[in-house]
Amino acid sequence: MTILGGIGFTAPWLLLALAALPILWLILRAVPPAPIRRRFPGVALLLGLKDDESVSDRTPWWLLLLRMLAVAAIILGLAGPVLNPQEDRAEGSGPLLIVLDGTWAGATRWPQQMQAIEAQLSRAARADRTVAFLTLTRPEDPLFQSADVWRTRLAGFVPAPWQPSSEDIARASDIMAELDAFDTLWFSDALDYDGRDSVLAALQARGSVEVYQTAANVLAIEPATYADNVVTLKLARAAPGLERQSVIQAEGRDPAGNARILATANATFGEGETTATAELSLPAELRARITGFTIAGQRSAGAVTLVDDALRRREVALIGGRSAREGLQLLSPLHYIEQALAPTADLIDGSIADVLPANPDVIVLADIATLSEAEATPLTEWIEAGGMLVRFAGPRIAASDISRIDEDPLMPVRLRAGGRSVGGAMSWGEPKSLAAFRDTSPFFGLAIPDDVTVTAQVVAQPDPTLAERAIAALSDGTPLVTRKTVGQGQIVLFHVTATAEWSTLPLSGLFVQMLERLAVSSAATQPDAGDLAGTTWTPIRVMDGYGVLSDAGTLPGVDGADLIEAPAGPALRPGIYGNAERRLARNVFATDGTLTPASWPSDVPVRGLAVPPEQPVAGWLLSLAILLLLADVVASLALSGRLLGRNRAALTGVLLALLCLPLTPADAQTSEADEFALSATIEVSLAHVITGDTQVDEIAAAGLRGLSDTLFFRTSVEPAPPTAVNLETDELAFFPILYWPITPNQPRPSSEAYSKLNAYLRSGGMILFDTRDADVARFGASSPNGRKLQDLAAPLDIPPLEPLPGDHVLTRTFYLLQDFPGRYNSRDVWVEAAPADAEKIEGMPFRNLNDGVTPVVIGGNDWAAAWAIRSDGAPLLPIGRGYAGERQRELANRFGVNLIMHVLTGNYKSDQVHVPALLDRLGQ
Amino acid sequence: MTNPLSLRAKAEDQAARLPALLARAEHLAGAVLLGAHGRRRAGVGDDFWQYRPAQIGDSRRRIDHRRSAMGDQEFVREREWQIAQSVMLWVDQGASMRFASTAALPQKADRVRLLGLSLAIMLLRGGERVGLTGTRLPPRSGNPQVLRLAEVFCQDDATDYSPPEHRAMIPHARAVFISDFMGDMAGVQLALTKAADRGVRGVIYHVLDPSEEAFPFTGRTIFESVGGTLSHETLKANDLRDRYLDRLAARKAELQRLCALTGWQYGLHHTDTSAQSALLWLYTALDSRAGRAA
Repeated sequence: MTILGGIGFTAPWLLLALAALPILWLILRAVPPAPIRRRFPGVALLLGLKDDESVSDRTPWWLLLLRMLAVAAIILGLAGPVLNPQEDRAEGSGPLLIVLDGTWAGATRWPQQMQAIEAQLSRAARADRTVAFLTLTRPEDPLFQSADVWRTRLAGFVPAPWQPSSEDIARASDIMAELDAFDTLWFSDALDYDGRDSVLAALQARGSVEVYQTAANVLAIEPATYADNVVTLKLARAAPGLERQSVIQAEGRDPAGNARILATANATFGEGETTATAELSLPAELRARITGFTIAGQRSAGAVTLVDDALRRREVALIGGRSAREGLQLLSPLHYIEQALAPTADLIDGSIADVLPANPDVIVLADIATLSEAEATPLTEWIEAGGMLVRFAGPRIAASDISRIDEDPLMPVRLRAGGRSVGGAMSWGEPKSLAAFRDTSPFFGLAIPDDVTVTAQVVAQPDPTLAERAIAALSDGTPLVTRKTVGQGQIVLFHVTATAEWSTLPLSGLFVQMLERLAVSSAATQPDAGDLAGTTWTPIRVMDGYGVLSDAGTLPGVDGADLIEAPAGPALRPGIYGNAERRLARNVFATDGTLTPASWPSDVPVRGLAVPPEQPVAGWLLSLAILLLLADVVASLALSGRLLGRNRAALTGVLLALLCLPLTPADAQTSEADEFALSATIEVSLAHVITGDTQVDEIAAAGLRGLSDTLFFRTSVEPAPPTAVNLETDELAFFPILYWPITPNQPRPSSEAYSKLNAYLRSGGMILFDTRDADVARFGASSPNGRKLQDLAAPLDIPPLEPLPGDHVLTRTFYLLQDFPGRYNSRDVWVEAAPADAEKIEGMPFRNLNDGVTPVVIGGNDWAAAWAIRSDGAPLLPIGRGYAGERQRELANRFGVNLIMHVLTGNYKSDQVHVPALLDRLGQ
Repeated sequence: MTNPLSLRAKAEDQAARLPALLARAEHLAGAVLLGAHGRRRAGVGDDFWQYRPAQIGDSRRRIDHRRSAMGDQEFVREREWQIAQSVMLWVDQGASMRFASTAALPQKADRVRLLGLSLAIMLLRGGERVGLTGTRLPPRSGNPQVLRLAEVFCQDDATDYSPPEHRAMIPHARAVFISDFMGDMAGVQLALTKAADRGVRGVIYHVLDPSEEAFPFTGRTIFESVGGTLSHETLKANDLRDRYLDRLAARKAELQRLCALTGWQYGLHHTDTSAQSALLWLYTALDSRAGRAA
């Protein structure tokens, strides 16, 4: 193979034929094109005209170029070009050591790495070299075996969720010290770590080193932080590069418990930057369900950060006494609690009935004395299920009789009437301060500031249980905070107000601490190593190198200080750790961590993982040549005018069909219902009901076609061809009018069809019932068709009817009519009755009837037969005799026009009755 | 042609074209009637024209008693447009008309038939009598004449460039010649002078395809007439363009000269412009001449 400019040729001498192209150009140019035959009536004027020159037009240059390109493509294709030609490289000899970093950083590209290793193994097998593996994250004594044995064991290599530690490096160095000379292929994960240089030096001392590493950048995500209602996520990448956007997915469980992606955020690395930040604002419920964040498209442990309790905040519902007047903000009974809780808890406002479905952790009632039965019962159930009710006293509780004689189920103690007031202007004694907390109290250990004083409180009745329920007391021993447990929950009562009215407690830091101790609020700070020293944490779920969580099984617990500070390794796997109270996440990539790309000395060859395979392009070039020649055929035909013959449409169709055949998606068909809806709604379409009697249906269709044509010629209504409607299956809402001929034995529609029909009538549709028997019968049940009509129409929602009055709007919507003949000329046409109070205004020819379009028109004149036309436009059926018959047909057509106009325009022709009133109002 | 199968197929083919042509022509005529000229002619003979004293020979039924009761004299109420004009059409059905340069354009034959029939419908609605030149279909009034005209217009003529029919022209009638006038000018001249001799005035309507105006051809070409009787080969069609256009202009000038001599009107129409405006022009051309003649 000869390589010219990166492309190899199997038969390079054929390329000399390219020199013959200019000669071909000259020859082709000299040949004139074939004449075009054209039909042209103006030839009569051309007769006798002579050409100025006897030289014909030459072949156009672009056609010549096309042919040249085709010939050049053939020559090139036959010369056998090959892309990415592989030079034969020396296979080498002696034992081969394959070193793997085996860290999480390579997990995303692990399959490609394994493929590259397999390719190297097959090369080694061809050269009969023995191969050993050394994984730096799990160093073991290398075992030199034949490459084929290793190929079967490749699937056993998995990345570890940590970087090589110093012990691992030391162990690897020890192993290499014991070995003889060998060559090394190092599959690096492109990240730097301590000790990599020493390993490289040791390997180079033993033989040649070749490094394979991916060109793709390594991404990692820092643990999520939460502040000011925003979750902040930071990404890092190893090498600064072009601007790049990454999608971060928040994973968690939906309410049904299935794992799914709850939210996504975009983080953008600026050009040349190695960090990117994304912010995510989520509702508290959603945030509490998040278990971790991952970078989309990455499959490594570093691209996953797990979430512990840090994102979870307690939900506290605050309910204050109803105030009828607008109070000042600082006088709100909830102001201090809001201030104390806002930084660490999610607050909910609303009534008890509103907040209970949200299942808050804590409900705070500030000075609310009585609760209605409808509120108290679900509240009690909520407490028994583990809820915490915190109540504050106040003037209303002091003034009420709640928990006076018997202990209220929602109060921890009984209360004395009125409470007490100390240290005020009208009382003896000093304001009381707090006594130190007893060791059974949850507040035990909190320092009591001197300036916390109490001037008023509600006082508990002495009861046998009072001593154990009091968890804070004043210096004189009066209980200040009492608590009782109910079911799994508890009720806490502060005997003072939540405002600074009765005590200075809400103003002090102690108040916040007490709420924290009561677990009303939760600490949002992440513990440091000192806090956790000496505690033991057991792994609950651990991560592998791909970032997939699995149950920890029987892995041993770890020390709290190590959990925060020690590097990850086999003994400390990344994952979720927990003790009795809380959970902690240990992530691969720490806060403010950095990724350093590995840099190799210049004497170490570094290759990518992907090796482009050899690609012969001769086939492509020859196909191109054939295509060009085909284009030449088409172009030559087009030039001589033979392409555009009589079969042009067919030819083009075939060509287009061939082109489009593979491109047409298989699911391009729309459903039948959609097609029906489309055809019915693109234009106005008249519709008739399918009766099942073929002849009647045909006449109905022909009649509506005739009426459509009449409308088309005479009015601005230009309807589409009429539609036959099956009441059971088709949607009716598209049609302004349904023509329903009655036959004695048509089937009764189903109840679903009737409900559809009623909906149609109520929404403004019109049905024209035609019994087609006005020649023999009058309106009513006197004929089979009339009886059938009564039977069919019974379930329909039809208003009272009356014979069409002379001033009905149907008589003047387009033509002025007084008769409504069809094939028969009966005056029995019934429409919706006018309202009883319709009155005739003086001077107007018709009554004041301007509401609504009649939903039904009933008659027996067989209108469709009068309207019906054949396909050539001639009348289908004879009407009457002679000119009188034609006149009757004309009147029938006019009735049809009036009817459609009535349906489409409503009763605007009746609006003229308002003309006198309007003129009167204008002052004319 | 006695094969009954082919006869039936042809008959059905003709029958299928008839309603389409009729419907299009009716539609076109209706659109024009609704315009500026519509109301003036609505209802033939219904419009009041004048009262004139009754003369001997007037039917007694025609005496207008309301007017006559004002005095001693008896008056007859005359109505407008009671006297119908005869209009004779000649619509070129020759093979040269069956030509359209692109598929998007109608054939010239289609366009002239549509124009002829629409004009006939409008004239018939206006109460005139319409027919063809020659003896085939003499002018008559009434709706059935539309059907007869449509039937004739649906038949193709095999002649390549057919000369105008000039026989049996009714004196002092009006005539409309619609064609591309690509054929021999002697026939046209004969027809026009003969018409002028008989006092027939009318309209020459020259219908051309846009390609006949532009001659957009290049390269080695053999031009053939649609009927195949004439052909002309050239090596460089683009060189012929100017000379062809000169000849076409000369043809138009000749037609205009003939019209000026005989008192006819000349109109030019291209098939890529709207049929409606052409119909409007034809109608006003006939109308204005009628007004001047009256």
